[in-house]
Amino acid sequence: MIKIIATAASAEQGKALLEVGVDMLYVGEDAFGLRLPTSFSRAEIETMVEIAHSQNKKVVVAVNALMHNDRIEKVVSYLQFLEKCRVDAITVGDPGVIHLLKKHNLNIPFIYDAQTIVTSAKQINFWAKRGATGAVLARELTYEELEAIGAQTTVPLEILVYGATCIHQSLRPLASNYLQYTNQDVSPSKKRGLYITEKNDPDSRYSIYEDINGTHIFASYDVNLLTQLDKVMEANLHHWKLDGLFTKGDDFVQIARLFVEAKNALLEKRWSADYMQQLNEKLHEYHPKDRPLDEGFFVKDPTEIE
Amino acid sequence: MKTITKKPEVLAPAGTLEKLKTAIHYGADAVYIGGNAYGLRSRAGNFSFDEMKEGVAFARKYNAKVYVAANIVAHENDTDGAGEYFRTLRDIGIDAVIVSDPALIEICALEAPGLPIHLSTQASATNYETLNFWHEEGLERVVLAREVSMDEIKQIRNNTDVEIEVFIHGAMCISYSGRCVLSNHMSMRDANRGGCSQSCRWKYDIFEMDEETGQPIGLEGNPDEPFSMSAVDMAMIRHIPDLVEAGVDSLKIEGRMKSIHYVSTVSNVYRQAIDAYCNDPENYEFNEAWEDELWKVAQRELATGFYYGIPDPNQQIFGKPRKIPKYTFIGQVIDYDEETNIATIEQRNHFKIGDDIEFYGPGFSHHKQTITEMWDEDGNPLDVARHPMMIVKMKVEHPVKPLDMMRKRKA
Repeated sequence: MIKIIATAASAEQGKALLEVGVDMLYVGEDAFGLRLPTSFSRAEIETMVEIAHSQNKKVVVAVNALMHNDRIEKVVSYLQFLEKCRVDAITVGDPGVIHLLKKHNLNIPFIYDAQTIVTSAKQINFWAKRGATGAVLARELTYEELEAIGAQTTVPLEILVYGATCIHQSLRPLASNYLQYTNQDVSPSKKRGLYITEKNDPDSRYSIYEDINGTHIFASYDVNLLTQLDKVMEANLHHWKLDGLFTKGDDFVQIARLFVEAKNALLEKRWSADYMQQLNEKLHEYHPKDRPLDEGFFVKDPTEIE
Repeated sequence: MKTITKKPEVLAPAGTLEKLKTAIHYGADAVYIGGNAYGLRSRAGNFSFDEMKEGVAFARKYNAKVYVAANIVAHENDTDGAGEYFRTLRDIGIDAVIVSDPALIEICALEAPGLPIHLSTQASATNYETLNFWHEEGLERVVLAREVSMDEIKQIRNNTDVEIEVFIHGAMCISYSGRCVLSNHMSMRDANRGGCSQSCRWKYDIFEMDEETGQPIGLEGNPDEPFSMSAVDMAMIRHIPDLVEAGVDSLKIEGRMKSIHYVSTVSNVYRQAIDAYCNDPENYEFNEAWEDELWKVAQRELATGFYYGIPDPNQQIFGKPRKIPKYTFIGQVIDYDEETNIATIEQRNHFKIGDDIEFYGPGFSHHKQTITEMWDEDGNPLDVARHPMMIVKMKVEHPVKPLDMMRKRKA
């Protein structure tokens, strides 16, 4: 019952991800979903669903943005479209969308995904009682906390096992405002690859970009839990998310392949420290050189956090 | 003649019992406080249950309300004891709790029925369907996200019946509240559990990665000005008519950590402006003195956030901050003798003969004067009032009242 869910930046990459054994693809449109590698058109979503379903695989669509009135009005027809093309689930972070699903009798399973604030079993169970079929865990949880959550929830829990962690979302154009103030003709789009370094921590490097949902800032280290997957499994965290926002094309597909191999080895009881090490070394080859990796809050001591 | 059917409440912060009483005395219709648990201001003065009881009794006398913030985003075990806590608040007579975490909302609703729940701004509610969701869950009020514009508030008002509260004054998160964990990642302090280290106000360098070499490069012409995400503060004093017309139920002032100088001044100003508009909207005129008064307790520049558009560079703090005239709170009136025109003052900061000072009190009363004569408690003449909380008698040129405040401009 371990499922691997990976972002798809294109139909081509989606196909390749399914080929290497990914179970679910994660796509969406920027206007309704947060921090996607590519904003898919409706036609592209439809194609992706057809491809996945033809292989008995699934597609989850990101509808997890915080929506203002204009967006909450437009999202209804989007949800109707998603229901019609039979996407397998959506992620939702705004209770307004949950309200609309019920109000319009839309039959789409939803996974609760309010990013940084999904931090306890009680909270997840609150949403499960209101129809959520899963939940995406905050990245700021330690193993001890995750284990406790896994033991007290009934819906599948999704944990980021590979990729970037967003640590700040503002509706303000924070980078544009700075660039305008300093008279620099630079567009802070995702493509530009801007990052900020804290003055007192010169080794830090937080990626920053702006899009339709505002300004996004990411942790200095991308998450890699390849070395912790046995514990992830033991803690009943069964949906493993791979986020390819900053890992392009075939490199990301190869990394997904490594996680599929790891999953199979774990399920077939072939997991060993040596094997894990081999996979992890390969992962580092495919991972962008300029983005350091670590295990994030998974390996931190909860009592060290104030 | 135009009449106002719904006058919004002025909701002031109260970090301590003294601040609670001050806020109400200076015109707040309601105050919000923190208890010893589940609140986001772990370092603000928080209330014991006994202090809450006293605060509620005081508020009742003035027909004011007391809300308690319990707005952390809980982790495992953080919610232990929350049911008992909410029941105690309810039995003390607290008028509502301000909560953001659905886990705490559920506990409160199930275990302390009858205690009204307000959704905290920490939940970043930005559209009317979200408000409708929480209304159906039984919440009485939603504090909107600070990213919601005036036009959006009007649309929200037209599409939901739940009460709406908005921030009108004070410091702001520069992120969507709840959606920032800079502090967790940069200093191992949980922003959503009262540990925010305000990393957004730190200084940063900005670079881009050279795709070919994989080496960082400074932006072309990158000047010495560091990158920062520090927001200026909010002040909606010039826009009270818009807020009333938009149908907002409660106008919230930020600052549970702030002084009684701040709490009294800001409550006083907004009380005046809201009364002035609601009593006679057709002849309402903005009074520049209100804004001047707010500047006296300002820590940063003031702006209107998202109310009238997406904030531009002027709403972020870059470069040298503009010099804001600073005022010091120097004393509080505890008695006044009409016969002799002598006020008794409790000292809060250094003052001396010759200082130009200002008294202010509820109802926006203001008097300026120079200190000419003062005495200690035993009637001995004084040149300087040096000691905190010392009692000073002083000749005043205009009548003052107990709880009037005394301030002077910093040199």
